[in-house]
Amino acid sequence: MENIRASVDLAITQALASTLPERADIDRDQPLSTGGGLDSIQVMNLVMEIEDHLDISVPVDLLAEAQTLNELAQKVTDLLESQG
Amino acid sequence: MSLFEKFEALSQSRRALGFDGPAPLATPFEDIRSATRGMVDGHEVILAGTNNYLGLTFHPNVISAAQAAIADLGSGTTGSRMANGSYASHHALEHEIAEAFGWPSAMVFSTGYQANLGVMSSIVGAGEYLLIDADSHASIYDGCRMSKAETLTFRHNDPENLDRKLSRLGEEAKNTLVVVEGLYSMLGDQPPLQEMVEVKNKHGAWLLVDEAHSFGVFGDKGLGLCEHLGLLDEVDFILGTFSKSLAGIGGFCVSPHRDLELLRLASRPYIFTASPSPGVIAGTREALKLLTGGQALRRQLHRNINRLYEGVAALGYQVGSTTPGPVAALIMKDRESALRHWQSLLDQGVYANLMIPPATPGGLCLLRLSLSAAHTDDDIDAIVGALSVAQSWPAKSAQA
Repeated sequence: MENIRASVDLAITQALASTLPERADIDRDQPLSTGGGLDSIQVMNLVMEIEDHLDISVPVDLLAEAQTLNELAQKVTDLLESQG
Repeated sequence: MSLFEKFEALSQSRRALGFDGPAPLATPFEDIRSATRGMVDGHEVILAGTNNYLGLTFHPNVISAAQAAIADLGSGTTGSRMANGSYASHHALEHEIAEAFGWPSAMVFSTGYQANLGVMSSIVGAGEYLLIDADSHASIYDGCRMSKAETLTFRHNDPENLDRKLSRLGEEAKNTLVVVEGLYSMLGDQPPLQEMVEVKNKHGAWLLVDEAHSFGVFGDKGLGLCEHLGLLDEVDFILGTFSKSLAGIGGFCVSPHRDLELLRLASRPYIFTASPSPGVIAGTREALKLLTGGQALRRQLHRNINRLYEGVAALGYQVGSTTPGPVAALIMKDRESALRHWQSLLDQGVYANLMIPPATPGGLCLLRLSLSAAHTDDDIDAIVGALSVAQSWPAKSAQA
């Protein structure tokens, strides 16, 4: 489980580096839309990169439920675990 | 603590666009004088941002049909299609749309937005999938939200990414509805539909094409991008709107699957709303005759498109679509530049659309122009001329 979470965190780091390099040091516990300062399209582009890194498809509903990058990481981790 | 507190960020965004003049968002029109002329802030403007692609809003046949229907049948139906709101004219329009496509079934909805809500929310359900282009219109996203199906996205206009997503679904791809648009309204770009059809066929998925902005614009009969590319046999559902080329309000879904009719029993946005008024239906039927009845309007529209695209290219603008179409989205370097362009155009008698994040893809700031068959060469030249001036126009606030 820790390995999966670590690979998700790494995928987020890589996705940030490629889509939002200026926000590479974003606080992953800040709400994305306010403290994180990311709009919905930036978040969606970020998730598309994460999907490519991890070879998964993230449902739109799951995105709406994640308020922070760490919450997103946990939800993606859960998704990966559920897929075995 | 106020219930309205959560809207503060939106309110701030609107205030940031404030200046001494008409609002760039929800611009008030004092009068509409023709398909291409309106009054804003006491001045006549060329309408170059109204999606009135065939310019039929003032066509005498459309107006007289609508007037006659109101006189004959009243101003509204006051009820839903399920109850008292199914008139012979609603069925006639549905038959005429289906006939134009050569398909057995069509359904009319009260708005284009509701057509997407109504189809997306009901045609796929629990245990099935919606796979939509990431840059889809809000009505598609909202329809997906209403559906019990799981919604996934693929990269905008990217058949390879679509292929990857369908591959991940495995056998479930056969229970997946892929959703694309015939023309994306923000950037005016078109999908690589042939490649996407090949991908969805490879996986056995279903395909819906929303032709809201392409119906009336492309194809010998004006049926949209699918007709233009000879792909009508490859599509399961086509959605359209009455509020652009058809110059009214409403929407439709048409399909080669006769069972589309079953949605009348299951689609809440179809069932729980009043049906389109008799005037709207009658006007739309006349507009549909004009749209499918000949190429003259489309030829004129495409002549205008080419003239504008050549003009903006000569001025050095980067445009959202490399393929010329009825929407020319000029990419601005930032929000201030977009606002300055919008103000300058209005000052010179041209109304365009200001489009800014988060409504735009990729966080782009756009000056969006939409063309009409009713525009003249002089109109197009005036728009290009105004853009030329706007390039060196100072912000209004700086002039004061």
